Amino acid sequence: MIKKTFKIPDMSCTNCAMKIEALEDDLEGVQEINASYHKLEMVIEYDESKLNEEQIIAAVKKKGYTALAQ
Amino acid sequence: MSKKQNKPIDPVIVIVLGILFISVAVLMVVFQPKGNSINITAGAGTMSQLVVAFITGITTGGLSCLAVQGGLLASSLAHQIEQDYAGQAGPKKSKQPAARTNSALPIGLFLLAKLVTYTLLGALLGWLGSYLTFSPMTRALLMLAIGLFMIGNALRMFNVHPIFRYFSVEPPKFITRYIRRTAKGTDTFTPLFLGALTVFIPCGVTQAMMATALGTGSVAMGAALMFAFTLGTSPVFFIIAYLTTELGAKLEKFFMRFVAVVVLILGVVTLDGGLNLMGSPISLQNLTRTWFAPQAATRPVADAASQPSANAGEVVLNVENNGYFPTVLKAPAGKDFTLSLVTDKTYSCARDFVIPALNYYELLPESGTVQVTIPAQQAGSTLFFTCSMGMYTGQIVFENQ
Repeated sequence: MIKKTFKIPDMSCTNCAMKIEALEDDLEGVQEINASYHKLEMVIEYDESKLNEEQIIAAVKKKGYTALAQ
Repeated sequence: MSKKQNKPIDPVIVIVLGILFISVAVLMVVFQPKGNSINITAGAGTMSQLVVAFITGITTGGLSCLAVQGGLLASSLAHQIEQDYAGQAGPKKSKQPAARTNSALPIGLFLLAKLVTYTLLGALLGWLGSYLTFSPMTRALLMLAIGLFMIGNALRMFNVHPIFRYFSVEPPKFITRYIRRTAKGTDTFTPLFLGALTVFIPCGVTQAMMATALGTGSVAMGAALMFAFTLGTSPVFFIIAYLTTELGAKLEKFFMRFVAVVVLILGVVTLDGGLNLMGSPISLQNLTRTWFAPQAATRPVADAASQPSANAGEVVLNVENNGYFPTVLKAPAGKDFTLSLVTDKTYSCARDFVIPALNYYELLPESGTVQVTIPAQQAGSTLFFTCSMGMYTGQIVFENQ
């Protein structure tokens, strides 16, 4: 398991954080996602053997947001 | 839905429901109690507050709520639509396009549950508020806090500075996670349950209204305020959610600016009310009156026979439904005098008379005269008075006679 932080600059309310956290259920290999509208970021804990950074960025984009790796 | 197929509701019914809601709004404005005319700013206390709450809901609350809570409903509906379409793609393929699923019922249930829950929340907030409203000063402080909260939220929506993001309350993760997973349910109970759970993810405008409900300090008023507001949000929520969630997403960006402007105005008005209630000379009303004092002082007095007669040791103030007249009184400095507060079929919050500097508060009778002894004040000083909501104000200027 690895923990990474992504900046999500285009979140506009707390509901955006909730939408992004929904990736917990959609992406295989995700242990936990904590998204914060206050900090405009998401911290994701995932299994590197099942998921990579590009896939995460793509999944966030599919939700309508931009993820920037830190 | 995995259950039996429901008959789709005709869009006409949806539009009729929308018209019904709007009609209720119009009726609430037109038929205010005691025969008052349409006058929201000067409205009669309780009813005008409810009308303002309803209009706030119908104009900005619906879209704001849709932006925050619409995703939950949409995800629940999307699942239902998906299931319905899957059900229709059976061996016998119809040449007709697949009928739109019956989304009106779950949206209706969702909104009904939301209405009930927010009304209960309003009652709870009003009850909590009753322990906070010990005095006009407490009320003033609460109004200042509410006003700042609303202004902060508006500035957040305008994206003025990252610091304003902290004016938005982030619900605890376990709650959002639970709501999100419940949203994936497909039974008819789900929309009801989800509607109730939206109470944990209120939008900015709703949060502002919740703060106002807290400020009422009354269980009934808190419940009524949240009921009126949530009822107001319902038509917009219903129609847009019903028509398409995509339209909601497009509208979100366009209307967020509008919502921000309205919240900003409401915030400034609330903050100003708080300043009035504190007896502050720097409230907008008191500042403008100071600048334009001659005009303000010439406001009509209801009863010409009861013109102020300060020299005789008595000053008369007419307390009317739309404020205090005259708004600027002149009184002799250096000696006590009697202020006679005259009401005549006065039903507005002007009856709740407050002189913050003297810590004086009195609920005046609907018709009658109440006399207050004002202690001696220095020449050149000003004593501000207001209603308990900080809406109507006036001042007494002390002069050497």
